[in-house]
Amino acid sequence: MEIIIEEISKGHKLIGRHKYAQSSVHIGRGYHNDIIVSDPHVCAEHLTIDYDGEHWKINDLNSVNGSFIGQGKQAANGHIVNSGDVISIGNSQIRLIFPNHPVDTSIPFSAFESLINLARHPLVVIASIVLFALATGWLTFLENAKEVNFTQLLVPAIKLTLAFCIWPSIIALISHLTKNDARVLHQIGICFIFFLLLMVTDAIQALTYFNTSSNWPVAWFVNLLPIVLAFCMFWLNCYVGFHMSKARRITAAASLTILFFGGSALLQMSKRPEFNPRPQYNATILPPAYLISSSSSVDDFIKDADKLFEKAQKKANDEK
Amino acid sequence: MKGFFALLLWLAAPALYATEQAGTIFKQLAPSLYQIRLIDKASGEKSSIGSGFQITADGLIATNYHVISGFAQYPNKYQIQYLDHQGNKGDLTLASVDVINDLALVKRNIDQDMPFFTIADNSPTKGEELFSLGNPHDLGMIVVPGTYNGLKKESFIDKIHFTGSVNSGMSGGPVVNKDTQVVGINVATSGNQIGFLVPHDKLATLFNHYQDSPPASIEEQMAEQLSAYQKALIDKLLESKWQGKVLGKSLIPTIDVPFIRCWGESNSDKTDALILSAMANCALDEDTFIDHNFFTGTVEMQFQYMETDKISPLKFYQLYQRQVTRAAAGNKATKDDVTEFECHHDIVMPLNQSINNKSILCTRNYKKFPALFDVLYLGLSVDRERQALISHFTVSGVEKEMALAFTKRFMESVSWK
Repeated sequence: MEIIIEEISKGHKLIGRHKYAQSSVHIGRGYHNDIIVSDPHVCAEHLTIDYDGEHWKINDLNSVNGSFIGQGKQAANGHIVNSGDVISIGNSQIRLIFPNHPVDTSIPFSAFESLINLARHPLVVIASIVLFALATGWLTFLENAKEVNFTQLLVPAIKLTLAFCIWPSIIALISHLTKNDARVLHQIGICFIFFLLLMVTDAIQALTYFNTSSNWPVAWFVNLLPIVLAFCMFWLNCYVGFHMSKARRITAAASLTILFFGGSALLQMSKRPEFNPRPQYNATILPPAYLISSSSSVDDFIKDADKLFEKAQKKANDEK
Repeated sequence: MKGFFALLLWLAAPALYATEQAGTIFKQLAPSLYQIRLIDKASGEKSSIGSGFQITADGLIATNYHVISGFAQYPNKYQIQYLDHQGNKGDLTLASVDVINDLALVKRNIDQDMPFFTIADNSPTKGEELFSLGNPHDLGMIVVPGTYNGLKKESFIDKIHFTGSVNSGMSGGPVVNKDTQVVGINVATSGNQIGFLVPHDKLATLFNHYQDSPPASIEEQMAEQLSAYQKALIDKLLESKWQGKVLGKSLIPTIDVPFIRCWGESNSDKTDALILSAMANCALDEDTFIDHNFFTGTVEMQFQYMETDKISPLKFYQLYQRQVTRAAAGNKATKDDVTEFECHHDIVMPLNQSINNKSILCTRNYKKFPALFDVLYLGLSVDRERQALISHFTVSGVEKEMALAFTKRFMESVSWK
């Protein structure tokens, strides 16, 4: 009966996979073995796996550090092998599998996969980067109170675009270092599409703040938009860059989102003075073309203001 | 030659007479004149000084409220002390205050009747010579001669304009006529030879009130005075004529009262500016001192008109928004005095539909005077693509009804031309 033996590194990475048809497989550091393990804690002749016509059996050759089943302390000598068993020798591991070992059902290509592949299309990547650079340049232009020429806008736009390339590059580098595919174009494509989407949420926020009065607590929901988008981006970063379970991917994306937004919130809170003598208000204004909501009357405004005084008075009472 | 001497003598005589008179006045009045000091209990040292003068035989002393404000706000932290002309010290108790006119009455315990200053019955006449007494910069008691120049016109609260050097430390000291009657109390200076005095009738009123019914609590007394004052001030502002004045292509209100004064500024000389801007600022020229870090009673209105023909509406509004993100309160206050601001905003159009504004109103409540608020309003026009009007006011130490009435009037008085 055939047996498949997988060599596994200390970090649980698959190093090699071999199939044997003979009835005895020799494993050790010596070069005469069937599987040569270059681990200093493994003996030259460490163990053999023998087929007795019915079972495969582990036979430890009195090795210095011994052979154990799985991660545990149970000696492997004489153990009858089941398909999928892991044997620890020295700092290394081997996994024993029979040819009839079951495998997972195959996953069909999803529309989602092709969408992700679209993001790495060179045209899409270039288009999103150029769009991002143009948008940042335009925003700098809007902010600038003096007249500016094209180069003065181009330089900061390029600088900012390069700075925003850092994040996808780091992700690609980490996935490369962890023996996954780097998929740099994928990461850059995805990130820049999301950076553009985040700019759109900024515009939505401005539009909402401009058009809603503070009577509408709905305006707060638009604050959630960038958080949701960031989560999606981190999730995709993980999906593209690493092989991990669904639960782990969600945890990783959520942790990154919390780290990012929680961190900046914490930073702002630490800077907040104990008492702020200045009022904090939302002064978002846009040109008349962006004004969709109808106006209130002065009397309505005064009525709302009346409640504001009560709120302030309540605050004073609470602080006493 | 003889004629020349005669002339010189004639010229010198009034000056000589004045000095002599000042000397006599000082000698007569010295025992009733005090330095008032606020002693910080923890350190045992004085933290502020001023002057004061006795107005009854049984030891009631008048001074400025601002001299003893620390004690009025934090009675556990300070002790009020006097220092008389012979260098004797003793404790004083706070009897009554007039926070609006900056007056206070403190009481000294004495065993036998003492000489005291009498308060004049009539105001001085313009040009009359007066003598200001006090202890400037802790240098000892001095007499400063000067002239009565009538009441300050640009002032809601009556103040005497006194031509003479009133220096810090002389605050709370009396100003007397040549009959040694008190006609005013030193309160402030505005540079060389320009001094301001609290008129004698304010002291007389405070003293009479005190004799009729001494205040149960200084804090309540202050709350009543601040409430009455803000009502009088805002009522007066609302009663007065609000005149429309052109600023760029807008009409802004100016209130026709002498105590609100306006100033203007624009960038019309800068031809390369992307936005043309003109600003007008009208404010009450005085405020009410409650503590070194807490002022109230301010009224300020500010308008800024902006227009452009050089940039897009989106850029214009972006730059316009930057102008309005950091509005500040018109008065100084700390955590102990007020809450943080609460704000409300909406898009508001007055009934005549003359302008459409994003209106922002913020208010904070006073912790020691729960009926009073500081109010800040910002109106940002959002109905013209390349023209904008910022209409802004701050009012401090007002009650809700007065604040709302003022806000309504203000909002309805701003429009496009």
